[in-house]
Amino acid sequence: MISLPMAVPFVVLVLAAIVAMVGFRRTAVWIWFLALAVTVYVLQSHITDPLKIAL
Amino acid sequence: MLALSRALNALALLGICGVLLAAFYWQLARGELPCPLCLLQRAALLGAGLGFMLNVRFGSSESHYGVVIVSALVGAAVAARQVLLHIVPGTGSHGSALLGWHFYTWALVAFFLIALFAGALLFIQAQFAEGVSDWRPTPTAQVLGWLFVLIVLGNAVSTLLECGFGPCPDNPTGYELLQK
Repeated sequence: MISLPMAVPFVVLVLAAIVAMVGFRRTAVWIWFLALAVTVYVLQSHITDPLKIAL
Repeated sequence: MLALSRALNALALLGICGVLLAAFYWQLARGELPCPLCLLQRAALLGAGLGFMLNVRFGSSESHYGVVIVSALVGAAVAARQVLLHIVPGTGSHGSALLGWHFYTWALVAFFLIALFAGALLFIQAQFAEGVSDWRPTPTAQVLGWLFVLIVLGNAVSTLLECGFGPCPDNPTGYELLQK
């Protein structure tokens, strides 16, 4: 699987926040959805790290 | 009740900004770089802040509270994951503790409280009567909104400097982009 840079969710959130502040409410919510999806995707790529314990 | 919901949303946004600024203080002044899971908790906190910011900027809407609650749930899942990593004695911890708890434990509590707070605010029916289209944001709301934008931007720049253009190291020791 392609691993995304960690900064991607933050960049998408910057876009959502700016879009909201300039007045596009619904677009901001859709961009937030995208940021959420990217955050979950990045999380799954960090799910196995050296600190992991045997469950 | 309308004024109360406006004030509480602004207060919640201010609180989230405060938490994120405190995290920056620990990162920049104390040199504790956030780990990948810590960064994802920040992203979820920013998502919850975005929901409150939408309420402050446009007026209250159920979908804005949805943004807050879903972001808080994702953040709580990430924080719980990190707590579980260290729950067994002898598995160590990450970062310093504040009042006896590590930041990921505080984050788990904070996400729970945020979801609870947003859920409680949904009971104020009067806030939805005005509708989002008629809303005129106050200068205070504008200032608060742009402060939040700056904090989100700061987090994006900081994460980019720390992790570069790839996945973040599990235990970052320096800023990836500044070392090259």
